[in-house]
Amino acid sequence: MKKIQDVTVQGSRQMDEYLTKLMEIRSDVVAVTSYDQNGNLLSCWSNGQRLKDYYLDNLSYMEDIREDDGQEPAFSISLPHVESLFVDYYPWVVTVSQLMENAEGQTVQVAIDIRFNKISEYVDGIGIGQHGYCYIVNEHSDIVYHPQQQLIYSGLKTEENESSKEGTYMKSDVLYTVQSLSNCDWKIVGVSHVDEIITNKTEWMSSLMIGLLVIVLVITLLLGQILSGIFSRPIQQLAEAMREFEDNTGNFSFQPIVGISEIKSLTDSFDHMVGRIQELMEQVRQEEISLRKTELKALQAQINPHFLYNTLDAIAWLCEEGRNKDAVEMVNALARLFRISISKGHELIPIEKEMQHAQSYLQIQKFRYKNQFTYHFDVDEECLGYYCNKITLQPIIENAIYHGLDRMVDEGYIEIGIHQKENEIIFTVSDNGVGMTKEQCDEILHKEKGERSGVSMKNVGIGIKNVSDRIQIYFGSEYGISIESELDEGTCVTIRMPKVTENGYEERKTKKGENCSGSIDGGNYVVGVFI
Amino acid sequence: MLSGCSYNSEISGEMTAKSNKKKDVYIITKSTTSAFFQSVYSGANAASSAYNMNLIFEGPENEEDYEAQNEMILEAAKNGCEAIILSAADYHASTEIVNKVAKEGIDVIIIDSDIDSDLVKCRIGTDNYNAGCMAGEALLQGSGGTLNVGIVNFDENTANGQEREWGFRDTMEKNARVLSLETINVRSTVDDAKEGTKQLLAIHPEINAIVTFNEWTSLGVGYAIQELGLKDAVQVVAFDSNLVSVGMQETGYVDALVVQNPYAMGYLGVETAYKLLNGYILDNENIDTSTMIVTRETMYTEESQKMLFVFE
Repeated sequence: MKKIQDVTVQGSRQMDEYLTKLMEIRSDVVAVTSYDQNGNLLSCWSNGQRLKDYYLDNLSYMEDIREDDGQEPAFSISLPHVESLFVDYYPWVVTVSQLMENAEGQTVQVAIDIRFNKISEYVDGIGIGQHGYCYIVNEHSDIVYHPQQQLIYSGLKTEENESSKEGTYMKSDVLYTVQSLSNCDWKIVGVSHVDEIITNKTEWMSSLMIGLLVIVLVITLLLGQILSGIFSRPIQQLAEAMREFEDNTGNFSFQPIVGISEIKSLTDSFDHMVGRIQELMEQVRQEEISLRKTELKALQAQINPHFLYNTLDAIAWLCEEGRNKDAVEMVNALARLFRISISKGHELIPIEKEMQHAQSYLQIQKFRYKNQFTYHFDVDEECLGYYCNKITLQPIIENAIYHGLDRMVDEGYIEIGIHQKENEIIFTVSDNGVGMTKEQCDEILHKEKGERSGVSMKNVGIGIKNVSDRIQIYFGSEYGISIESELDEGTCVTIRMPKVTENGYEERKTKKGENCSGSIDGGNYVVGVFI
Repeated sequence: MLSGCSYNSEISGEMTAKSNKKKDVYIITKSTTSAFFQSVYSGANAASSAYNMNLIFEGPENEEDYEAQNEMILEAAKNGCEAIILSAADYHASTEIVNKVAKEGIDVIIIDSDIDSDLVKCRIGTDNYNAGCMAGEALLQGSGGTLNVGIVNFDENTANGQEREWGFRDTMEKNARVLSLETINVRSTVDDAKEGTKQLLAIHPEINAIVTFNEWTSLGVGYAIQELGLKDAVQVVAFDSNLVSVGMQETGYVDALVVQNPYAMGYLGVETAYKLLNGYILDNENIDTSTMIVTRETMYTEESQKMLFVFE
């Protein structure tokens, strides 16, 4: 417009030239027209359109144009209208008009018709949210341009906004924002759907949050998996190993667990601990076993001296009386007794030997007790080949004599039975002595080791307990001694042990030998004591 | 003018985003080239982008070619379209086929020109009888004297043309100033209408007013008047706006134009299709789009500009 003003002042030739070029270059300018003060068309420039010979109405001319206030050029901008000057050419335009002085000093009105779709391109490009848009109104709130202009023109859509002040207004769920343009009277109204702005955003946000949450969860889970792979899995394995060790301490063998250095040091410590504990346990067991053995042997040794000097007393007495034959018999029996009880240090001997041992003992005792009792062996011959612990029957018989028959007035009677039952050998020693109460029977079998220290002939059942312990050590707790007794009726002691053949005995000996190598010379010790 | 049409702007927002898959809607019109149907298409396009529908435009070369229209309807049905927006070339000839596709579950919406079928879901368009009446009144207001009226109408089987003629005749026959009414039916092309008009004027030289009922016949009548130089002798009331007919009005060959609202027809047609396909209940099975008379004197008023000139 400024340029047009310049060329207008310069005169019609330059003006013509300039505007013709302008029309060629600027496709958005439909026409430039000038009018005199009465509104008569003075001249018109267009891009090759034919001017009508006669026009009904010239919409590009504005009657109430603004006067220049002397400082800034005042533009007047029309509402959109149809270009009405050309033949068969009716584009929608907006006219920008200004009063100017031409070269002759007359005031003319110059109008530029600007193609509307150029403006619409700008406005259409503005979107607010998914369905929001902008439109332009003039100072009277008439719509200048609306993206859906044709809808509005067709009456299919109306804009309800009447407020012409600047600012933001809410109507139902639509948000109108009005903003005045600085250099003209137009206002831009932005229309946005509140629900869209908010719901879309919240939906978007919440879906984003959920998405993030899921991602974080997945990452956390993965990390957890990895960390547990690094830390807790080896620890679980270690815990598992510990549980296993707890259940099966003796035979546990530890497989070192691979892991980070902390785990490795834990594993190493545990490995070391396992080794140490097993070592200690083995040591304790060995000590226990050898202790038991030693105790047994010592006990065996303790039995004998009492008996020995009593018997030797008896022999000495026989010799004094000159009963040499009896004395020889006694000495023979005593010799047999000791030979068998030593048995070259073997713990298990054939049952036949054990029976001879018992017979020798009974023979000596019967002599000593001047035939106060009689005895009888009831033996299954097949049993004699099997093995049993040595000095099994003798302590029982000893008890029967001392505690069952000794105090009797009548003649005592001892019945000794050796029988087989399935895989077991059953020894029975029954007498018709004074008998015991049930409490006494239990007491005999459950005497504590410590009470054994004060050994005296008056103490009931020391030998029996000893026999029972030995059988159980050798054959397990399911075997052993049981006592049935009734006061004034008699007592029956039953000894159960498995059938052990010579081979079985050898196996047992070697097996035992692995664990108690230190106690092999226990027997020799016993021998040393006697002889 | 705004009556009955301002209800839809607020639902567009909530409706739009819902359908994800674009639905195919066929728009089968009488012509694809006339300014009237171009305007229908532009309205339909505006609605299709608002309602997310896929539009396919089809139309025969000749406005009377109902056979081609029928084939297009069948083809559309075969292609699995969900709705057809139809401007029927013939009131009777497409009935059977429209009923057939309607029974197959396709929603049929009529715009502009009706057919003889009960299975049409919605009819959108000008109140043609009323538009005819308006044309009559425009003619009566245009001059003070007696009138010998020639009617240049298009195909007798096309519903909207006939309805307009009835409305026009009813209006004219009531008036004592009207001395005669002569009708000639021509094919709906510019050339046929021009020849028909010349023929009519040759047979009935007393005719001093001519009315015609669509875009092409309007141009034909305008050209005939132009060629015969009867600009001042014969008063012309024509239909629909077109750059040429607007020019004729400005130059005086046409005295008044009955302007329909094809943009609204296209827009409402697609909007109705959207509502039907998405299970909304229609408020109205007949939607009347606005019509107005534009004379030389009023053609540059703001409202007339909006109706006459397509906004680019």
